[in-house]
Order: sequence, then C-alpha cells, then structure tokens
Amino acid sequence: MEKVKIKINNSTLDVPAGLTVYQAASNAGIYIPVMCENEDVDHFASCMVCLVKDAANGKLFPSCSTHVYEGMELITADEEVLEARKISLELLLSEHVGDCEAPCVTSCPAHMDIPLMNRLLANGQTAEALEVVKNDIALPAVLGRICPAPCESACRRKGIDGAVSICLLKRNSADEDLKQDEPYMPAIQKDTGKSIAIIGAGPAGLAAAYYLRIRGHKVTIYEKESRAGGDLRVPELKDKLPEEVLNQEIDRIINTGVNCKCGVSVDKKLFDALMEESDAVVLAIGAGTEHIDWGVKRVFKGFEVSKRGYQSSNPKVFAVGSAIRASKLAVRAVGQGKEVAFSVDQFLAGEKVIGEPKVFNSRFGKLSEREHIEFLKEATADLRVEPAEGLGAGLSSDEVKQEAARCMHCDCRKKDSCTLRDLSDDYEADQRSFSADSRVETEKHIQHEAIIYEPAKCIKCGICVRLTRKHKEEFGLTFIGRGFDVRIGVPFNESLSKGLTKTALLVAEACPTGALSKK
Amino acid sequence: MSTDFKEDIKNILAQTGNSKSDVIPILQAIQNRYNFLPEEALREVCSATEITPENITGVASFYSQFRMQPAGEHIIKVCVGTACHVKGSGLVHDAFRRELDLNDGEDTDKDRKYTIEKVACLGCCTLAPVVQVDNVTYGHVSTDQTAGIIKDFEKHRLSKKKKLFRTGSGKEIEGEIRIGLGSCCVASGSDEIRQVVEEVVSKNDLQVKLKHVGCVGMCHQVPLVEIVQTNQESILYAKVIPDDVRSIVERHFQPKGLLPRLARRVTKIAENILDDRNWEGIEKYSLDVREKPVSSFLGRQVPIATEHRGGINPLDIEEYIDKGGFLALKRVLKEMNPQEVIDLVKDSGMRGRGGAGFPTGLKWEMVANQTGSPKYLICNGDEGDPGAFMDRMILESYPYRVIEGILIAAYAIGADIGYFYMRAEYPLAVSRISQALEVCREKGYIGNNILGSSFSIDLRMYQGAGAFVCGEETALIASIEGNRGFPRLRPPFPAEKGLWGAPTLVNNTETFSQIPFILRNGADRFNAIGTETSRGTKVFALAGKVARGGLIEVPMGITIREIVEEIGGGVAEGHTFKAVQIGGPSGGCIPASLADTPVDFESLGEVGAMMGSGGLVVLDERDCMVDIARYFLSFTQNESCGKCTFCRVGTKRMLDILDRLCEGKGKKGDLEELEKLSSWVKKGSLCGLGQTAPNPVQTTMRYFREEYEAHLNGVCPTGRCSALIKYSVDDRCIGCTLCAQKCPVDAIPFTPHEQHVINTDICIKCDSCRQVCPVDSIRVG
Repeated sequence: MEKVKIKINNSTLDVPAGLTVYQAASNAGIYIPVMCENEDVDHFASCMVCLVKDAANGKLFPSCSTHVYEGMELITADEEVLEARKISLELLLSEHVGDCEAPCVTSCPAHMDIPLMNRLLANGQTAEALEVVKNDIALPAVLGRICPAPCESACRRKGIDGAVSICLLKRNSADEDLKQDEPYMPAIQKDTGKSIAIIGAGPAGLAAAYYLRIRGHKVTIYEKESRAGGDLRVPELKDKLPEEVLNQEIDRIINTGVNCKCGVSVDKKLFDALMEESDAVVLAIGAGTEHIDWGVKRVFKGFEVSKRGYQSSNPKVFAVGSAIRASKLAVRAVGQGKEVAFSVDQFLAGEKVIGEPKVFNSRFGKLSEREHIEFLKEATADLRVEPAEGLGAGLSSDEVKQEAARCMHCDCRKKDSCTLRDLSDDYEADQRSFSADSRVETEKHIQHEAIIYEPAKCIKCGICVRLTRKHKEEFGLTFIGRGFDVRIGVPFNESLSKGLTKTALLVAEACPTGALSKK
Repeated sequence: MSTDFKEDIKNILAQTGNSKSDVIPILQAIQNRYNFLPEEALREVCSATEITPENITGVASFYSQFRMQPAGEHIIKVCVGTACHVKGSGLVHDAFRRELDLNDGEDTDKDRKYTIEKVACLGCCTLAPVVQVDNVTYGHVSTDQTAGIIKDFEKHRLSKKKKLFRTGSGKEIEGEIRIGLGSCCVASGSDEIRQVVEEVVSKNDLQVKLKHVGCVGMCHQVPLVEIVQTNQESILYAKVIPDDVRSIVERHFQPKGLLPRLARRVTKIAENILDDRNWEGIEKYSLDVREKPVSSFLGRQVPIATEHRGGINPLDIEEYIDKGGFLALKRVLKEMNPQEVIDLVKDSGMRGRGGAGFPTGLKWEMVANQTGSPKYLICNGDEGDPGAFMDRMILESYPYRVIEGILIAAYAIGADIGYFYMRAEYPLAVSRISQALEVCREKGYIGNNILGSSFSIDLRMYQGAGAFVCGEETALIASIEGNRGFPRLRPPFPAEKGLWGAPTLVNNTETFSQIPFILRNGADRFNAIGTETSRGTKVFALAGKVARGGLIEVPMGITIREIVEEIGGGVAEGHTFKAVQIGGPSGGCIPASLADTPVDFESLGEVGAMMGSGGLVVLDERDCMVDIARYFLSFTQNESCGKCTFCRVGTKRMLDILDRLCEGKGKKGDLEELEKLSSWVKKGSLCGLGQTAPNPVQTTMRYFREEYEAHLNGVCPTGRCSALIKYSVDDRCIGCTLCAQKCPVDAIPFTPHEQHVINTDICIKCDSCRQVCPVDSIRVG
C-alpha cells in the first residue's frame, strides 16, 4: 500500500495514503475526539469537535474529513485547538435541551439515583431498589421519615399534579429491607489494612463509616454519648422517627464490620493517639463542640475544609456534617459522609484529594405546558398517592408500585454513554457560555417499541440518516429543513416504527447523544 | 386522486428524466404543476424512480423555492435585498401582512388569494423598495401603498392588453429607437414602453428601427429610451412613462413644424409628473430630457464584461459577431493549443470574480492537468447576495459573451460537458440563456466539431432552487448531483474531484464574461488595467443612498470615493456619506473615513471587507450600523446549510445578541460575547459562508463601536431600530388628519385643525404617518 509521510505534533509518521487525519492519528495512538464520525458510514464533518490545526498555515480543519497527504504537518492539541473544541461543544450545548441527570437527583444533597429507584419500584423490584438507595444513602429508613425532601421540590411533576412521593418510596424500600431476616449487605471490598478513626456517630459519621468500611478499611467510630445516632436522637424527631427504626438502621451499618466505641469522649490525648495510629481521621463532631484543639484551621462556620474533598488544613484530617457548617438537613450530612469516603481513599492512595469528580450535567429550565404532555407520556396519569394507612404507616406495596409509576423519566437514558456529555466533561465546557434567547420545546417520541427519539437533544450530525440510508430502510430518517432549524425526522411524516424497521437499535447505539436511545 | 398523480408524475418524469440527479428539476416541475409539493406526488416519484423518500424529503425541505403547503393564487414577493432593506422594506413587508390580515406563522390570506414571501433580491435595487406581485413589479413602495398595489394588480390582471405588432416597412431607416430590456428596465415598465413605441411607430408608419438592448447599467434612470437619429448624436430619455412615448417619438420623427407644440406638451407632462403633492400612484417617474450626469456616470467606467452596453441586442447573434464576438473563440480553436490559452489567461493576471479572487489561469491549469474523464465545467450564476445583480445583468444582456468565455475555457481544460447553474429567481436570465444556447447550437457554436474544429462540448442549463450556500462550489456541485446543498471540505478541490467525482472547473459568470476580451485583445491589454495584484475590471451593483445607482464596471484600484462621488453622484438628497457595504453578506462596512481605499482584492481584505461578488451599497447618516450588521447576519444565518456547528449554532447565537441589541435588551458582556463568537465562527466554520459571515459584524464593531455601545444602553442613534424609538408630532403639524387616516392601528385620533397626537402604546412604528405628513412634523426618536 502507498504510504505518505506526515508530521503530527512534530513526530513523523508513515501512514497509508487514503486515511483521514483522524484515522491516521488514532492508529498512532494520538487522541482526537469525535462525535459525528462513525466508522460504518461516510464522514460528514458536522460537529467540529475533531478540529486540528494545519501547522503550515495555522488554519483549523476537521480531522475526520481531511485526508493525509505527503508532507502534511499538523497539531492536534495546542491551546487554540483545545479552545476550538470547547467552543464547538459549548455551541452545541447552548441548544441542547435535555437534562443528563433528573432535577430530583441534582437537588438531592446525596445525589441518589431517584429515577432508577422509582423504575425498579414500579417494576416490583424492591430489593434492587434498596441497593440503588444504599449506594448513596446509608440511612434510608431514617431519612425516609425525617428528610424535608428537596428532591420533591425539584420534581418536574410537582408543577403538573404533585411531585412523586420520592421520600416515602425510599422509605418503603428501606422498611421492607428492615423486615427481612437476611437484609441487604453491601459487598465489602478486600481488606486494605488501613484504619480510619471517625469522631462522632451522628448521621455524617455513620455514613462515613459505612462507605469507608465498604471500601475495605478498618473503621472505628468514637461517640461520646452512650448510643450512636447523634442529632438523630433529638427529642423533636421522636414522633417522626421511632427509636426502633433508628436503632435497626444503625445496626445495619455496624454489622458491616464497623467498630463503634460509644461513651468515649475524645480528649487531646486520645486524639493525638488516634492521629498516631490511624491512617486518617474524620471529624464528624457536629456543631459547636469545641472542647479541645484539633490542630486544624477553623473559620466562623466550623472547620475549614477543601471544597469537594472535605480535607482540613492537616491533610490527614477530614471533617464533615455540622462540624464544617451547622445544618438541620440530615441528608446533607449523610451525603457528605459518602463523599468523604471517596476523598479519604484518594488521600490513602497518595492522590490529590479533589473529592468525587463533578460530572458535566446538561440542564434546561422549567417545562412548558406543552412539555408537560410530552413528559407525561412516560408516566401514569394517576394523582399523587397519599398513604391510606396514614403517614406513619407509609405506603403499601401496591401504593408503592402505583406511585413509583408516576415518575416521568426525566433523566437521560444515555447519561452514562453520551459522547456529548463525556467530551463536555473532558473539555470543561460550560453550557451557559453562550446564552440563547429561546429554546426549542422538548418532545419525546415513544411510539417505537425499542427506542425513544428526543429531537431537542439532537446535534444534527446525521449518523442516523446515513445509517438508515446504508441499510436501505424504505423510509429511514432524513434531514428536514436547513440551517439552525434543521431537524431529523421520518420522511412523509411516517411513524418512527415505519422509518426504522431494522436499524432502530443500530441508530440508538450510534447516536452520540441521548436523542436516540434504547428504551 | 392518486391516479391523477400517477399520470402527472409519469408525464413530468418523461420531461425531466428520472435519475437521482434529476430530483430538483422533478420537484420544480411538480411545483409548477400544483403550485406546491403535494406529499402524494412525492411518494409517487419515489415509487416510480430510484429516488428515495429520504432523498426527496431532504432536498425538498432544503431549498427555499419549494413549498410544502399550497400557496395562494398570487404571490407577493417583498424584496428584502440590501438596497430595499435600507430603504425600509421590512416595514413594507409588515404593512402587507397587516393588509392581508395574517397571523404569526401564516403566509397566505384567508381567501387563499395572496401569499406573501420575502425574497433575497429581485435585482432591481435602484427601484428600492421593490415588491413583485406575480410578474408585476412595483418600485419605490411605501407602507401606505399596500392596498393601492393590490387594487392596481387586480385591475391590470383583468384588463389584458392585446399584443401589438409593428408592420414592417422596406423604406430607408431614419434612425433607431433603443429600449432597455434588462430586469430593472422591464420591472420599471419598459415592456409597456416597448408596446407603446411599437404602436406609435406602426400607426405612423415611421421608418425607424426598433431595437431591444440589454442593461445599460443606469438602473437609476429606468426605463430608458434612446433615440439615435441617422447622422446625429443620440439622445437618452430616462424614467420614461408610456404617456410620454408619443411625444418623444413624434419629437424626433415628425415634420419639424409640429415641434413647438410638442415641446410644450412635454413640459406640461413634466410638470404634472413632478408634482407629487397629490400623487397617490404606485410608480413614480419624472421625465428628464437629456440626462446630464450620464457622462460622469459612464466616464470612469471601463466596459469589458459589459462591452457595447446599451448598444447590443442580447439575443442577436449576428450583431454580437459584427462587434467582434466569437473572434476570440475562432482564434483559440484555429491557432492555439489549450496550454497556450491557459498561459495567456495566466499572463493576463485574471482572478476569479466570484469573491475569493483565485487566479483563473491557475485554476484552469489544475483541471487541465487532471487525467480523469469526463471533465465538467460549471458556470456559477447562482448569485444569491442581497444587493447584487451583476451576474443577472451579464446573463441577460450578454449571453453570447458568457457562452464564448465558457467555450474558450472548455477548450483549454478539455471539458466534455458544461453547465449553466442559474437562479430560478432570474426568469429573464434563464430564458435568455436558453434561447442563446438554442441559437448557438443551430449555428454550430455548441455541439460536435465546433466551427469545424475537433473540439466538441454540450452546454446544459441547470436551475438552482433557492439556497445562497449553493454559490459555494462544493455545495453547488452537491445540488447538481441531486442532493441537499451541503458544502464539503476542500481539498479535494473540484478541480480534482468535482461533479460526480470528476475534474470540474467552476468559474463565476463575470469571470467567463471577461475571457473573450482577454483572448481577443491579448493579456497585455487586460493587464494594463487595474493594480499590481488585481488586474482588469470589476462589475459592481451600486445601490443604496446614492444619487445614481446601477450596474457599473470599473477598473480595479479605483477608490471607493471615486465610485460613490463621481460615478454615483454622491449621497442622495443632501445627506452625509457614512459608509459603504461592499461584498454583501461576506463583505464588510467601510466607513467614509476610509473612502480612499482602492478597490482591489488585497486592500479590501485589509480593511476587513472583501470583494465578494460585487454588491456595493452606500449608506448615509440615517443608517444604523447595528441594524446593518443584524440585517446581513440574519441573511447568512437563514441561509446557513446547518451542517457544521460553528455556522449553524454560532451565527444563531450572534443573531440572538444582535436582536437583543436592536430591541434594547442588550446585556453586559454582549459585545464581548459577540466578538468572541465572530472570531470563532470565522475560524471554525467549514465553508466560505460561515467563514465570512461575521465580516459585516466585525467591521461595524471595528469602525462604529460607539453605536453598539449606545444600543447596549437602549439608544439607537439613528432612530432605525423601531423598538428603541418613539413617534411623536411636533408643532409644525397643521392638523390635516392625513396621518390619522393612514394610521393602520388608529393610534392617532382624528382631530381636524388641531395638532395631532400619537398614542405610543398603540403605535406599531410602521412609519406611515411620517411618510404621509405634508409638513414633516412627525418626529422619530
């Protein structure tokens, strides 16, 4: 095969003639991002995230559509190229009307995957639902009774006919588990040999203990009171939160192998000893307890910690919950307990402590009236269920199924496999960088048995059009209109089912965003 | 019904052919038949041909010519070209919408009688603002004339005049009457003039030769009638109306004794016409006897593409040959080999006139050097810029010259098939070229063994369907192939891989029209004109706020000031020259302070503009530069094909900001964001459309930033942006109630003899009151 000599980032390569720059670079292990490129169909040069620079004249060009030629010199990642990619992503995001995560999830301090829990509950999979809950919330039966549920304020259905009863649904999954003889036990990772001391057994300390334990560490909690629970045992909560439930749920945490030393007040001497013998210390001492010098910086609100890492001025010491900022929101403390486990792991691994990575999240504003109808397509029309047996009793299992089915699936089906999201994350794109005066209304085309089409998430790359053409669909998909208003649709207003008789899964798989996704 | 479609489609396909590349002609034929594209008809095409639903839907929805909904019986086209825009066509469009009582999203009235459309440019810039109802063109339209126009159209539609013929006479000819038949002339009524002249001549049995000539270029004076009496200096009559014709003709071709009486008549007519105090008419003409500024208008010009203008019948091939036509072709075929032709064109320094200025000889050589076969040649006549009508005029007036240029190029590169790619919006140009091709075929200039040589080529006509982006050569090729007009990345250039993957030469119409001159007179003659890097001449459509607009051909290197002041006669009506917009939506605004910039490829680029295809719109102090930037950007944004992100989304976001500014809703940081977007759209876009779209914004921001800042503070210094202005009446008001009568929304109470008051809550800022006020008492600010 004929070969040509090209230079990428100053290193010379012999590559087969006829390749695109993108292909040649990929073969050489040089990363160039792509979205509208698909190896099964002709290149199209639409998304422009694959821009690279011609070293000879400084011009940018899309690498997916440019063929190599003898003597070509190019740059794949200087400041301008990276900026160009970021701008193209930000332009696409400025018209991307879709949420990656559902608003309930982004507003939950513990970022619990609420829509997934709802779908499992609607499907009768209570145990699986609890597993989802416990991935983020260590004390769901407790929070199911006392949480003010910011998630329900954010629920898109709130503006239609009442939020989904998320809090009670979560509680039900936890309550069901508490009834089991063999309750849910998370998989505990292999023993790391590291030991962590947690001071304070309130919601933050307990959650930190649970998630650190799951990571295979030896965890010891020091609690000055005779029982674990901290602020969860204040009298105001007595009516809502039966002691038995609290005790049972704390036991579930302890049973993972956490050593809880109650009635031990940590003084300076003990603290120094803990600092000595532990690999890390987590302060979860609640608000206003300041009887000893912890040797870390404080500000007015509490301990000073790094923003997402919860690391104090002493790298070995972390702080969470009301110890860093007084709050009555137990779910926040529980969420921080989960997050600090991640940070401590980073510290133990010798990595930079930056906390759980913040993943790019596309968001759009309120739903319009017409969008209510679109979103309701994926949910039952029933009104919000109030527990027949009263709030104290919670929802019955029938009520759970009925209520969970009201969830409208606001989260994106492609949230974990969306190229647009991944690249936006990589390039730290800001969706608000370019302001749009108006947005298109979202639509959900759900008629097809296997896939869903959401045009407002489309980046008009045309991969689907080229695929349906290649596979000779009778109708297929086509570009309709031109310019900014171009959209993808089935010719002659035929249904998606008629358009995609054999390529539905293929196009859903190939779509670089959540516009076409599997049901 | 379905059987009807079957039969119709069968007939249509028999005419157009039925392969994929015929999809646009098929759609055009369907629309001709039904006045829109019925879905059943498209389905029928798919079942009768290889054309897929995906392809036909994609193509039909890409080009703006195609309608998916039935249109009304008549189409009202409001021209929103640059010249019309600066003269208020937006308000005229709104006035028509009110007249037809249309709601948002509707374009056809309840009776389905009229459909309203905006068109990019009707090419009658000197009559701006222009409205076309079916084939009748109305010039200088104001917002209060919409009802009158519809009434006038109805009246004339019903009274069809009989066609007049002149009886031939064998007697000696006393002289010649030349009537301009370019689009501007026809639009302004020259066809009617022709009919009256024919009538007068035949009734009086005059020994006069009646001659139809192409565009003279003096579009500001249309319709034009030129009288050439044997052995006498010719006399040009401008802005002639039918009623004047008899006087004019009789004045020159009647016994002399009658003259005093006639002269009086002429004066009387002139008085009547110039007195527009009680004028309610639609068209507005004055009769100037012997137009004086003609010499300064024509003096600075150098006609090459427009050689023999005003003196040659576009379709008379014998006349073309008499004046040296096809001499170059003959010489080329007999005496030169292709490389010699290419060398000569290279020596001439000719650069493409389509905008980018690529050296023509080099391009030819690239195609000639390709070994592939067949080779194609395309004449790009897809002139879509608002405010540009050079190609139209050249195609209408000099069809043989363009054909000759094409044939020479075809010989040089060894092309097998040539295409005329023309806008369907230029029906006159399409018909002239079709007829000219027919004549050339008969005479042996096209076809096999041209002029007895071994060289053969076939030339075909292809009509575009309304997409500005198809002026870009790769998009143009995609559309001939029967696809959506998506441009593609170059390289490979069309010279290597063009139409159907074969080597293809794409040159602009004006480029071809200059080729015969070069070959006939030698490279040095052409080379001697212009500047070091830009040789020869350039044709511009001069329009806007200038006393004498029209089609001009000037030597490269002439300054903007010379064009505006000497040729154009300066800014109209005692206003001040503010800027010129040169190069249309790809070009930029050059302020009056830089008016000494020479017009050549490099100098224009240095000041942020570009040659573009040759629109040149003059702006005065009343024009808002933010509004101008928004105008051009809304054009390109609307014409973006939508393929690449930077152009598709970037231009939209830029327009969002400009819209905000013009509506007084600008936000802090908007100007910086606009600058950032401009530079990235330029850098990141795939084709020339996006890469040049920010030019009008960048140049206006560079030279008129204070106007942007004023808009950010909610002020439009020129009072153009209607959201930022208010109408009021000052104490000059005489209480005549004309404004109250004209106001379409009753915002002015009917109070005779009292100073009128405008209710600004109701006022829609349509400008009707200001236009009708006899004492100029309406204030805008």
